[in-house]
Amino acid sequence: MTVAAIEPPAIQRTKGPLRRALDRFIENRAARAGLFIVIPVLMAVMTYHWWWPYAPNAIDLKAMNKGPSASHWLGSDGVGRDVFARLLQGGRISLLVAVCSVAISIVIGFLVGAIASFGGRVVDATAMRFVDLAMTLPPVIFLLVLASIAGTGIAPTILVISLLSWPVLSRMVRARLLELRERDFVVAARGMGAGLPHLLFRHGLPNCIDILVVYATLQIANAILLEAGLSFLGLGIAPPEASWGNMLNLARSTVVLEQYPWQWMFPGAALVLTVLAINFIGDGLRDAFDPRSDLN
Amino acid sequence: MRIKTIAIAAALLLGTGLPTIVQAQNPKTIAGGFDVGPGGFPKNFNPLVATGGFTWLSTYFEPLVIWNAGLTELEGDLAKNYTMSSDQLTYTFNLVKESWHDGKPFTSKDVKFTIELAKNKASGSLLAARLGDVASVETPDDSTVIVKLSKPNGSFLSILSQVLILPEHALAGMSPESLATSTWWSTSPVGTGPFKFKKYVTDQYVELAADDDYRGGKPKVDVLINRYFENPAAAVAALRAGEIQFTYVEPDDAASFKTDTSFKVIEGGSYVVNYIGLNQKVDLFKDLRVRQAIMYAIDRNAIIESLYGGAAKPANCGYVAPQLVPEGLEAYAYDPAKAKALLTEAGWDKINGDKPITLLTYYGSPQAANVMAAIQSMLAQVGINVVPRVVDTPTYNGTVYKEGTPDWNAFPMVYAGLQNGPNPAGINPGLNKSQLPPAGFNTMRIEFDDLSAAFDKALGETDASKLDAAWQDVCKVMNKDLPWATLWVANRYGVASNKLKDFVWTPAPGGGPYAAHPETWDIQ
Amino acid sequence: MLSFIARRCATGLLMLVALSLLIFVLLRLAPGDPIDAYINPSVPMSASDLETLRDRLGLDQPLPLQYFGWLRAALSGDFGYSIQRSGVQVLPLVMERIGPTALLMGLGLAIAIVVGIAAGIYSAVRRNAWPDIAMSVLSFIGISSPAFLTALLGLYFFSVLLRWAPSGGMQTAGAPFSISDVLAHLILPACLLSIGHAALIMRYMRASLLEVLNQDYVRTARAKGVREFWVIIKHATRNALLPVITLIGSTVGIAIGGAIFLESVFNWPGMGLLLVNAVGTRDYPVIMGATLVIGVCVILVNILTDVAYAFVDPRIQVA
Repeated sequence: MTVAAIEPPAIQRTKGPLRRALDRFIENRAARAGLFIVIPVLMAVMTYHWWWPYAPNAIDLKAMNKGPSASHWLGSDGVGRDVFARLLQGGRISLLVAVCSVAISIVIGFLVGAIASFGGRVVDATAMRFVDLAMTLPPVIFLLVLASIAGTGIAPTILVISLLSWPVLSRMVRARLLELRERDFVVAARGMGAGLPHLLFRHGLPNCIDILVVYATLQIANAILLEAGLSFLGLGIAPPEASWGNMLNLARSTVVLEQYPWQWMFPGAALVLTVLAINFIGDGLRDAFDPRSDLN
Repeated sequence: MRIKTIAIAAALLLGTGLPTIVQAQNPKTIAGGFDVGPGGFPKNFNPLVATGGFTWLSTYFEPLVIWNAGLTELEGDLAKNYTMSSDQLTYTFNLVKESWHDGKPFTSKDVKFTIELAKNKASGSLLAARLGDVASVETPDDSTVIVKLSKPNGSFLSILSQVLILPEHALAGMSPESLATSTWWSTSPVGTGPFKFKKYVTDQYVELAADDDYRGGKPKVDVLINRYFENPAAAVAALRAGEIQFTYVEPDDAASFKTDTSFKVIEGGSYVVNYIGLNQKVDLFKDLRVRQAIMYAIDRNAIIESLYGGAAKPANCGYVAPQLVPEGLEAYAYDPAKAKALLTEAGWDKINGDKPITLLTYYGSPQAANVMAAIQSMLAQVGINVVPRVVDTPTYNGTVYKEGTPDWNAFPMVYAGLQNGPNPAGINPGLNKSQLPPAGFNTMRIEFDDLSAAFDKALGETDASKLDAAWQDVCKVMNKDLPWATLWVANRYGVASNKLKDFVWTPAPGGGPYAAHPETWDIQ
Repeated sequence: MLSFIARRCATGLLMLVALSLLIFVLLRLAPGDPIDAYINPSVPMSASDLETLRDRLGLDQPLPLQYFGWLRAALSGDFGYSIQRSGVQVLPLVMERIGPTALLMGLGLAIAIVVGIAAGIYSAVRRNAWPDIAMSVLSFIGISSPAFLTALLGLYFFSVLLRWAPSGGMQTAGAPFSISDVLAHLILPACLLSIGHAALIMRYMRASLLEVLNQDYVRTARAKGVREFWVIIKHATRNALLPVITLIGSTVGIAIGGAIFLESVFNWPGMGLLLVNAVGTRDYPVIMGATLVIGVCVILVNILTDVAYAFVDPRIQVA
């Protein structure tokens, strides 16, 4: 809606809806910029161990708190670990946590939403009260209690974030599918005795794919922020494992904030930039899937 | 929503419309973060259940005897002087003349009341077991207290220094059970110290006012404030913003204050020995060679130099105090080759190889994270793959302290600390086989007969002249058997504004108490 | 309308009971109990003392008994005592925190709403001009920055370096209570809190206004010769506000949580900080009390949002 295609392509009427959405997405300058940031970040984060000489956890007590230089591009931290290596490893962990937790929450969110809409009144009401309950607690507080139970580390953090983010999605899926349920082809399929799995995956899934894609993208951005926040409260990824959140946490100390700015500025910049780029992409996708956006 | 917005807007208008209240005469005030850091115990007001925070509590409550500011010996506080009988069973205290903050005189009855209350489990007192040897408390007159023990206890006076004397006239009316949940502690406590309780603004700060007729002289400042902070970093921000004049700081922060002329860095031994605990229920660590290898593999001097800025003493047993460390200890100097050889000898490849071993800790400070990273990296060099895991204190205790047979592999190795002074008996609960949980603190389940015997001998030693030698024996056994991989005793820091005069602070374990003489503190 | 509110309240009550059970079970699954939080691992103490404490707190009773005991007391308004603070009752403790949180959230959201809506309208009207692009980029950055980072940086620049505002707390320690003092402590965290929310509101406002400006009735108004300013304010904005109100409603819930970071950086004595502390010390009664109170607030806000929605949009029937 916001940064929609400026003029509709002339030949759009001959194309399918997905193709048109893709065109709209490519037309979107912000979304393109997002891709230009995210793809190199992803590549760097996934491959750094092949081309970067330092390991993220290799200490060097003789080179502590050194500023950026030719050998340590982004300087070194309080035990002489290479900040660039930790930045990339941190990115790997943060993105891993974000992607996994979003994947899990999509599965839960879709299943709950879809089963609620196809499962009949009782199932629907029970499932939705459950969703309400999950949404009654403010997220960070739920997170706090969950995290203190699950502990710190990658798996608990993924669990906590995914348990937190599915309810919104399941509401969106349910709303979409309730509408779908009454449509002829679904009624026909049911009439012919199609089972729940058939309904869910042959009819439900394809008709929700746009919601899922957009939600996934925007939620990845959110999950990165959540991980950072959790680590800030000491509940997410615990050091010495690197994550953008716990690297940023170093800025709590005035000494680091003032005298060793490279230790928090670079992870901070990487985090904001990546989240920004993913948000751009997510927004672009939303506009692209929005059939009204051609009218604007 | 709308109503709320309007209400807030109204409050804003009202607020800005009011003139700032300027006080005619500013009372002399010292504000500090007295409960920041490991010695603090913020939001607790009941000395009977305190495991820390004595620095602050002892500004308005006082014990009979107290450590001097150097923590080298005990001196009288509410007891003018004291004598011990030759069989070490009878202690006689002569009390000072002092009045409670509400004007009532302080007498021996208060002392008797307090010791008996502290001994009574029903009051929730954490001192109850430690005072178990007290047979009777007698009060021949108002200014004399005689305490009789059932058996000699070398630590008795040291324990007594944490028994802050409470007013009988204010508390006798309440049952011991109801005392634990009483609001008296945080609303109207009455003590004998140089400052008296004024008010507590929940979870924000405590305010004390000078007690003008204090026996040590009228305090030089009018108001003493203890502000609560969520973490040392927040306290540092307030210190640098000029809002408080004192706080505990992390070592990294201390370094940055050293170059700043408007602050003074106060440094002192922590009296906490840091160690890597090696769970004796885990087969890997039953082999002495493995324990030795860990000692040789960790370059303690390098860590002390770089991460502690040199402000720590390497520990080759549980002690670093010169009188407790005998000659001829193995120094376990950094020698990775030797560590590797020992591991090969012990067949490390077969018994564990590079399987990850959890290194559990409750230390959450940035510096501790660096230390853990260094230890992880050094152990990795000799082929021991440890995975540091930082948890909060309750999780740590819930893990290691569980009764019966907990999951030993949840804490095969821990990075921890235990108080080793001023009273050397402090580490006994962590190492003696008689102290296995649930009866005691020996969470690493160390059952070494020679070590326990050495501890028992030192604890039972009644001849003061042989005491140091007995503790030296403990040290010797620890050095040889390596129940822990002992690391170091680090210094801790406080930073005070240069505006403070005659300010005394020391990073005593649990906050002391020690003779800080707050009545002499002054501010420019 | 009244029966709708009554029904929502009844469901809300049931949900609160379910919530309390959920939290109770979750808490007991967490490693470490209040006693474990009490032990300083560096200071040795006797286990028999700890056992005494555990008995006194009733932590050795069977779990269902503990829960129903708590529930019965809670229904009669007694939420018990804080374990970590001797002699402090939970309910007053929690109630005391609502004020500061509401103040911080209220002012933060008020700033966010004013700034966000104004910027959103301006952006939509001047669509694709450079101020619009600049504001859009800024708002994206606002959404993409972690709240605790802006809080830390704000604290450092405005309190430690410039000394424009106090570094934390709600009032100057030792000074008599005054509104101006509280305001001085409030303004910095409130402004920092508003950044993220203002950015979000601005983007919603802009998008929603753009859509409305294309609608027929706006075109009609313009054709009638209504001045552009009034078209936007009277005709378009009112309708464009609908999604923004929903957003603000759901934001209040998030803001209680989001305020945790600001409260923890600025030592603001609100609900978030209370809860973070209580979780850290396993203060069960306080955690239960605080989550319930927050739950009540969220449910109330949800009901209020629905009601407000009905008032703004007469097409919506609540029944």
